[in-house]
Amino acid sequence: MPSERKSLLYFLSMYIFLVIIILLLVSALYYNFRKDLMFTQIRPKLAENAKDVIYRIKEMHQSLGADLHYPRFSGFKSAIYDADRVKIFSLLEEEDIRFDKVIYKTGDKIRFIKEPDAYYLGTKYLIIEVLDDERWLRETVRDILTFGGLFLIFTAFLGFFLAKLFIKPMRESFLLLDNFIKDTTHELNTPISAILANIETIDKNEINEKLAKKIHRIEIAARTISNIYQDMSYLLLNKKTVSNIERFDLKELLLQRISYFKILAQSKRVDFVLNIYEEVYIKADRKKMAKLIDNLISNAIKYNKIGGKIYITLKPRLMIIKDTGIGIPKDKINEIFKRYKRFNESEGGFGLGLNIVYMIAKEFGITIEIDSKPDKGTEVRLKW
Amino acid sequence: MVRLLITAIILVSFSKGGDIYHQNCVNCHKIYGPSLKKLFFDYLLVYSSERRVKKALFEYMKNPDPKKSLMPKEYIRQNGVKKPSKLSDEALKKAIDSYWNRYKVIGKIK
Ligand code: HEC
Repeated sequence: MPSERKSLLYFLSMYIFLVIIILLLVSALYYNFRKDLMFTQIRPKLAENAKDVIYRIKEMHQSLGADLHYPRFSGFKSAIYDADRVKIFSLLEEEDIRFDKVIYKTGDKIRFIKEPDAYYLGTKYLIIEVLDDERWLRETVRDILTFGGLFLIFTAFLGFFLAKLFIKPMRESFLLLDNFIKDTTHELNTPISAILANIETIDKNEINEKLAKKIHRIEIAARTISNIYQDMSYLLLNKKTVSNIERFDLKELLLQRISYFKILAQSKRVDFVLNIYEEVYIKADRKKMAKLIDNLISNAIKYNKIGGKIYITLKPRLMIIKDTGIGIPKDKINEIFKRYKRFNESEGGFGLGLNIVYMIAKEFGITIEIDSKPDKGTEVRLKW
Repeated sequence: MVRLLITAIILVSFSKGGDIYHQNCVNCHKIYGPSLKKLFFDYLLVYSSERRVKKALFEYMKNPDPKKSLMPKEYIRQNGVKKPSKLSDEALKKAIDSYWNRYKVIGKIK
């Protein structure tokens, strides 16, 4: 059920995206909160330091330049800048000051900027710098990790239940559809077999020509239904059938399948043009290969013009089936292997055929190439 | 001849900023004006940066305004403000530069 998985994936990625956004947002908020808390806690101490420095530079100023010994304290570093943000004196190692802030963190240092009441020695900005022991940061990271982890576990559980809730109705409708198809398929088998068996028992020589024509048409129709039936049962039971791989001559099988479709082709006056080499071997399951060929030939007939041709080529490691039909629009070529996809809505059928072709080809390592020109025809090349 | 020599010396020395400062500002302040050192630190206290101090000085010298004076009010009431400087803009700027270099603290703090 690929579409089910697709919408589940979609749901999950949305969910994970949202959870991550929320987590990041809350973490950022919490980080900023802790940082501001740390700032408010350390600020009085820094203001005290600033006061000491200002007291000293006021003394220096009042000495009128006689005493110019800048104060050095052990717990912090400081610098003074003038109104044009030109350095007057600095003990700092890095001198990129953010003058628009009152308190900020740079690297592992905290800086506090104080403006004295008068410009002693020209000082408009006094910068106090202390080393941040970053205990608050470690605590913050620890908190974010533990609570974020708990939150993640919680949301994972929640997401699991939500996802279950989300796909439940979808799964139910899929199951319903699958069961319906299964039941219908089984019910179809008996009547179709009965019709085909009965037609075979009719002696064509005993009846008049008009009736024979009608019965011929009935046979074609019944075979078409039978093909569809086989496709459906193949798809439904596919998982259970084990391949019986053997090396065999594909030529034999191909000719046999072509002759099986002769009646159907004649009904549309479609001719086969064959170019078949001797002894072309392949390692695969014979029944499945028959199914693959059936589907390709039946498509070539179905989508062909009245009176068209089907060219079939078989060479070592290459089989080409080419029709002179309506073709497939370029933008649809990639889609046609999907189940229930028909590249022409006006034709009947369930669109299961190409999906089966694709599955079988994949199983035996056969690559499929499709060339198609609208109104010219379609060429399917199988290589192995 | 002697007079010519003296004027020549004065002319040459006038072209040097340091000497304009000494001959003009210092000479007068020694006799009539308040301490230039004290005034410098007053200007620093109010105008902070080199650019702003120099600008304020230049404007005051060109056009002494009692409202802008940093001298005590009592002093201005008694003595009035000084006369506008007779120096050319260029010479005045040079004198102010020398004044700044004489007393600036940037580069002198230890
Ligand atoms: C003619 C004498 C004279 C000269 C020349 C002179 N000054 Fe003055 N200066 C004074 C006097 C008198 C005052 C006080 C009155 C006042 O403040 O206006 C004064 C005041 C000042 C002040 C304080 C201004 C204030 O805010 O009130 C400064 C600064 C100053 N002088 C600098 C200078 C400089 C620099 C020069 C040279 C370019 C200079 N002076 C040349 C006489 C002089």
